[in-house]
Amino acid sequence: MTRILLKNKLDECIAAWRSAGFSVLAPVKRNDLSRFEEVERSADMALDLQITERTIKDHFFPQTEPLLRYTIKKHDLDSQEMLPPDIRRVFFGVRPCDASGLAIDDPLFGWDYKDQYWFKRRDNAVIVTIACTTSDDFCMCTSVKLAPDSTKGSDVMLRPLQNGTGWQVEALSDRGTALLDSVSSILQESSETPAPPASVPVKFDVDKAMEWLADPANFESHFWKEISLRCIGCGSCTFLCPTCHCFDIQDEGDTYTGIRRKNWDSCSFTMFTMHTSGHNPRNTQSTRWRQRIMHKFNYYRGKFGVNSCSGCGRCTRQCPVDMGITETLQAISNLQG
Amino acid sequence: MIYSPFPMRVVSKREEAPGVRTLKLEFVRQEDHEFFKASYKTGMFGLYGIFGEGESTFCVASPETRKEYIECTFRQSGRVTTTLANTDAGDIVTFRGPYGNRFPIEEFEGKNLLFIAGGIALPPTRSVIWSCLDQREKYGNVTIVYGARTVADLVYKHELEEWKQRDDVNLVLTVDPGGETPDWQDHVGFVPSILEKVAPSPENTIAVLCGPPIMIKFTLNALGKLGFSESNVYTTLENRMKCGVGKCGRCNVGSVYICKEGPVFTAAEVSAMPQCDL
Amino acid sequence: MGIQVQFRKEAAELLSSGAVKLVIGYGEGSTPERRRPVFVRTPAETERLVLDGACVANLSTYLISEGLLSDGKNVAVFLKPDGIRSINILAAEAQLNPEQVVIFGFDIENGEARPLAGRKASDFTQVVEAAKAAGLSPELQKEAERLDHISAAERFEYWKEQFSKCIKCYACRQVCPMCYCRRCIVDVNQPQWINTSSHTLGNFEWNIVRAFHLAGRCVACGGCDRSCPVNIPLRLINHRMAKEVLDAFDYYAGESTDQKPVLATFRQDDPETFIL
Repeated sequence: MTRILLKNKLDECIAAWRSAGFSVLAPVKRNDLSRFEEVERSADMALDLQITERTIKDHFFPQTEPLLRYTIKKHDLDSQEMLPPDIRRVFFGVRPCDASGLAIDDPLFGWDYKDQYWFKRRDNAVIVTIACTTSDDFCMCTSVKLAPDSTKGSDVMLRPLQNGTGWQVEALSDRGTALLDSVSSILQESSETPAPPASVPVKFDVDKAMEWLADPANFESHFWKEISLRCIGCGSCTFLCPTCHCFDIQDEGDTYTGIRRKNWDSCSFTMFTMHTSGHNPRNTQSTRWRQRIMHKFNYYRGKFGVNSCSGCGRCTRQCPVDMGITETLQAISNLQG
Repeated sequence: MIYSPFPMRVVSKREEAPGVRTLKLEFVRQEDHEFFKASYKTGMFGLYGIFGEGESTFCVASPETRKEYIECTFRQSGRVTTTLANTDAGDIVTFRGPYGNRFPIEEFEGKNLLFIAGGIALPPTRSVIWSCLDQREKYGNVTIVYGARTVADLVYKHELEEWKQRDDVNLVLTVDPGGETPDWQDHVGFVPSILEKVAPSPENTIAVLCGPPIMIKFTLNALGKLGFSESNVYTTLENRMKCGVGKCGRCNVGSVYICKEGPVFTAAEVSAMPQCDL
Repeated sequence: MGIQVQFRKEAAELLSSGAVKLVIGYGEGSTPERRRPVFVRTPAETERLVLDGACVANLSTYLISEGLLSDGKNVAVFLKPDGIRSINILAAEAQLNPEQVVIFGFDIENGEARPLAGRKASDFTQVVEAAKAAGLSPELQKEAERLDHISAAERFEYWKEQFSKCIKCYACRQVCPMCYCRRCIVDVNQPQWINTSSHTLGNFEWNIVRAFHLAGRCVACGGCDRSCPVNIPLRLINHRMAKEVLDAFDYYAGESTDQKPVLATFRQDDPETFIL
């Protein structure tokens, strides 16, 4: 016997969490875009989507976020931090790849200097993940050694029941336990079995690829030029990536007052590394694509012991010219023979 | 807090060379100053800013032996440096830092020191020079080789004069061919070739080298020829930065984050980096 | 002989004779439905070229890659009529020499690719004339009219919702053959004309500036619309601008390589409705 949440009880759950002070966010399809938004009822949720076009990263590291407000006076100035508000949030119906993405980025935002803008939101969030029982052509979690039912980064795991009526529930953290306890009267004991997780084919040998990437002799390989010839240098793959975390800092305001903001930035952009002098360490698209791949499958692991890719496949799914991590890592693992 | 800068008051401004200025800054708040005094070591850098314009990264040009003020020297080129250049005494700017690693000057004790700098890269070198000269007795012979494109481009001219007068410092100045004035008494030639003529023995000597990438490249060759081992040569790397604290993702050379693991590296460490990413 | 076989053969001939150094075409993509740009430099590689009804991208955008044409050598490229018009505009705006561009022209009818006769931009005058005669896309016009029939306030709300989705990934700009500026106005910071932040205001600024820059230049290839990862209906904005230019100046973008850019020229009888 395990605990289950029936779909027809979901509204009661949402109401209970909301009355306990949580905002509930779930996949929503609105204005021709799927993303996580606050919901009040289950009817607003689009839980049957394979994956939202945008990631839940948006809610922890927004595309533009105020850092501080400043006021300039003659011979004086004042600045106040603008930390995110104290809102406790439940993210319901997160895919395992997106949940993993948060866990992958935690060490970066905590690397010696703690980014409170990230952690304040992290600390106030409960991630309720639904294991995938289906996948699409672009899913590649198994290729990066995760799985359609990975628990990484999740506080609660929901496994869809075979009979389609609801989910088997499992708490994975103290936060998840507390969240489930708060709705224990809504949950039921059941012997219904969960559906098997999706069978996601492994598309490349990540170990082989990492071995090739780790060889300094390959850093200037002609491979990089060939694989990135058609890259147009937009930021689509990085901005839709659940783990890409690069940013810019910009001031906006008038002569006397304004806001310093943290804005998404992308290693795909020419200007990203351009010095004022005009020197640009990564002055071609191939060097920028190499940076993205190396960062994800070599540098990040070296620093934090984990690859910076959770296999969501958005980079390929949304690429205007059909590039992506899958193709590149496939090509590299094929080079390895 | 992580992205909040310290307010700093401009104490004075000095014109160093065409387009190059030094600002002397003092802390507005006592607690910020205490933090700086407790954490600053020579070689570290900061983000200097003006609200409304942004922040720009350069080294702390003042030595760890003089922590009452922060001095920074920069060339007016972008949006932030243009605004910084236009400040006057009494104006408030911002400083975030000090960040990064440092020159391990206590490991240099008892050794001869060879400082080599080109153009606008004297400031990071100068921070180490004064840190050592202020404790002169701890170090052996001190040689400074400094070159610029033209005589006008030499920065810290008043200090060059001071070093020239000292008999415990061997100062070698040079300007690129064509950059000399009619009354120029010192060397004419590029730093690497002058260095080969005037360098002290590599025996028990540490070299500190800062300059534009092309100068670094040729000077490292010259030092190699002179018999300096790469582990005894220190340099600093600079890259575009936004956060300064290892998050924003742009300053890395290969796997090395300049902001966190640098900006100070030995030549051996620099050699191990992918050269085309520099 | 099918068009794909024919184009492969001709591409191989051009490459082996040295008439072109590169052929830019379409190849198989990561799924059976997808096509991706491919760059072919040897006759043997022409086997990678695919041409069918799924080949919709406007490949002329690769011709403005820095330095590609600077050696004076020729490049062949697969282009639909919209792409041919792009070549005309790029030539008219002095961004490329049309003599260096060998065009494998094709059109898609009922989901099938069929060849267009000609190899140089000037060979396709009739194709472009026919396109102009057919007018702006009736489907787009119908979609755009929906917005014309609501109040200004409602229309503003509509675009506010759409632009609030924008993440400033600049896929629209990067995929566009008309966005060839070495330094886009959004990347200029002295002065900072446009906020870099991707909040609703900043997104409005970006999308409106781009729409204005494309007025009289957009050929409605739909590249920006297809590339937008957050599904902003950019086709409607560009269509609207194209319609304004057509109505006001009887100007259809990309008619020939010597057509004067509409907003860079004037006629004495130009309407002055916007001058107070």
